[in-house]
Amino acid sequence: MTVIVGYLTGKAGLSALNLGVEAARTLKTTLSVVTVVPKPWTTPSPARIDAEYAQYADRLAADSATQARTCIASLDARLEVSCHKYAHRSASGGLLDAVKDLDAEALVLGSSADGSLGQVVIGSTADRLLHSSPVPLAISPRGYRGSKTHGLTRLTCAYPGTPESLHVVERVAALAEQLGVPMRVITFAVRGRTMFPPEIGLHAEDTILQSWAGQARDTLAKLKSDGVVGDDVELQVVTGNGWDQALDAAEWLDGELLALGTSPQGAIARVFLGSKGAKIVRHSPVPVLVLPN
Amino acid sequence: MASPSPTVSFTQQMLRRRPIIGAPVAHGASDHLKRTIGVFQLTMFGVGATVGTGIFFVLSAAVPEAGPAVILSFLLAGLAAGLAAICYAEMASAVPVSGSTYSYAYTTLGELVAMGVAACLLLEYGVSTAAVAVGWSQYLNKLLENIFSVSLPRAITAAPWDAEPGVINLPAIILVVMCMLLLIRGASESAKANTVMVIIKLGVLAMFIVIAFTAFQTDRFANFAPMGTAAIGLAAGTIFFSYIGLDAVSTAGDEVKDPQRTMPRAIIAALLIVTTVYVLVAFAALGAQPWEQFEGQEAGLALILDQITGNQTASTVIAAGAVISIFSVTLVTMYGQTRILFAMGRDGLLPSMFAKVNPQSMTPVNNTIIVAIVVSILAGFIPLDKLADMVSIGTLTAFIVVSLGVIILRRREPDLPRGFKVPLYPVTPILSIIACGYILYSLHWYTWIAFGAWVAVVVVFYLVWGRHHSALNDGGDGIITSAAPGIDDVEIVTPRRDVP
Repeated sequence: MTVIVGYLTGKAGLSALNLGVEAARTLKTTLSVVTVVPKPWTTPSPARIDAEYAQYADRLAADSATQARTCIASLDARLEVSCHKYAHRSASGGLLDAVKDLDAEALVLGSSADGSLGQVVIGSTADRLLHSSPVPLAISPRGYRGSKTHGLTRLTCAYPGTPESLHVVERVAALAEQLGVPMRVITFAVRGRTMFPPEIGLHAEDTILQSWAGQARDTLAKLKSDGVVGDDVELQVVTGNGWDQALDAAEWLDGELLALGTSPQGAIARVFLGSKGAKIVRHSPVPVLVLPN
Repeated sequence: MASPSPTVSFTQQMLRRRPIIGAPVAHGASDHLKRTIGVFQLTMFGVGATVGTGIFFVLSAAVPEAGPAVILSFLLAGLAAGLAAICYAEMASAVPVSGSTYSYAYTTLGELVAMGVAACLLLEYGVSTAAVAVGWSQYLNKLLENIFSVSLPRAITAAPWDAEPGVINLPAIILVVMCMLLLIRGASESAKANTVMVIIKLGVLAMFIVIAFTAFQTDRFANFAPMGTAAIGLAAGTIFFSYIGLDAVSTAGDEVKDPQRTMPRAIIAALLIVTTVYVLVAFAALGAQPWEQFEGQEAGLALILDQITGNQTASTVIAAGAVISIFSVTLVTMYGQTRILFAMGRDGLLPSMFAKVNPQSMTPVNNTIIVAIVVSILAGFIPLDKLADMVSIGTLTAFIVVSLGVIILRRREPDLPRGFKVPLYPVTPILSIIACGYILYSLHWYTWIAFGAWVAVVVVFYLVWGRHHSALNDGGDGIITSAAPGIDDVEIVTPRRDVP
């Protein structure tokens, strides 16, 4: 068992390595750095037309490995690290192969480089994996440099209040217990947008939000009375006018991780992020952990 | 629900008023203290909400009732709507609850009146959604005919009790279902989209006016009031439907800069724009086509242009503009209906399922589906002119209640702070009552019977069910409290206010 972190020099920065080191340390396992490079042309040809390209790919992988090792060594010298090169047509495909080969328990990715610092930005690779990963997928916010306490301080579970997502709370509760960290369950209540022209006032959606917050409160309270989570778990309904405001309103600790489940659409047990989940991920200021269904 | 154990007398129950309850959960950007809306934007709300509900199809029903004198009907209906809108503004500013006449009536006039007003609003919003959807189906059919030269069969585009009967009005039902899906997904029309819609509507109507004036003949007004003067009121009743939405201006009251100045200006500006456009449209249409020909015309404005220009370019533009803008009108009106029912469900006057929010979409899904089903049935099976009259009678009654409410509130609570006060009190509310009352008086007897029966059904429902389930029972404060154990463990976190 190992934690895989997808890393390619020059792409997505070092935030994924920071999160990967923390994940491996928290799970008390090894870290595998996987670099996916383009697949060279395998058609035999006396001209070796692809030689330069293959060379370039090799160098890319070697550079990535050296950089990753240096970075990881500076973060945690005692961590057992291995580097792997995967040649594949797509980065996500290569990472999925690595997950299978290395028997990974989690996959860590960084945020895409084009987005604001401190926020999770889903790149094309992460996007595909959010809909196909067979193992939990962790994504670091852009520019993430690890927590000051060098470890996980709290696990927050986003719970939409539907019966299908109850299993996510159960799994996060089990994980929190296993890791010995406090847990919090949040139901987000986001106000609908105002309809124009305002035929029945500009505040019609406020009443909807109010009712939904009340309903969410009941569902959360039920988690405790049904024994799904323990008595020390913090329960919150977090409201906002938009997802960004709601995510900001939920006070985050240094070293907190936001865990969420995935839509129950797919029959196969894998990550398939729903539309609400995608919004939560996009606005999260802390690393997110997306659990497969 | 708890057992029906009213501890108050029957009369007290019917007269009890809903207290003003706590502030909404999320403030943040839409903070009540921030007054940002000016005259222009408010006028846009009024014009956006009003134009499109009727002008595209109301002429074919109204002109046969009064002949060319229908122009006076437009002025009369506009006057009544404008006066009522001004009264609305005072009511809205005196009652610090946001929403519809239902909420105002509940906090000021008591439960029974609120229920009566709700019956009117179900007509104003629910039935007008159906009416607008039927009008949309006419223009859609015209558009298909012009572009693809295919015409949908009568059987699936007309109601069974129409003048030329069909079986079911399928396009209208499809429109309602599309709007339902959008509302369930939480889609909304933004302020910008509203402005675009206003431009589209006014643009196509302006085009109609210009083209129709090229075929203008004054002798078509020779016989100005062929049906007599009383018919002007009758036609005003039918037309009144196209002024619905003007009261939308007043509901934005608590976000308006300097309401005492802004409110009347925006209402009058919106009223002037809308009335001018309507009168010009009617004037141009009557000048372009003898009044006897209006009867039974579907997608009327487009047809008139066909006759004038001899080709279909102009009518295609009109039909396309109508199809786009009426879609948005249907969406907004249907939205209003679901939110009014939501408020009633929350107050316990309707089953609580109306106030249930779906966790997946965070919208009131059950409520929206029920509204869509009822509106589809109305739109699919009842012809437009019958629907329009029902909408008007409901709206006029609600307007009268609001005007009365202004007078009652001034007498009962003269010191209540009001952001906006009706100018020339008590003349304005009394004129509003007289104007609305005159139009009501002119309506057909069968409209009255249908309306009376409908209100009776709602009141009986209140007496039999709502009265016992109201959230105000047992001395409650209007919030149905949850009995879930451990509720105090759950913290409700709201965004910090950025406003200093």
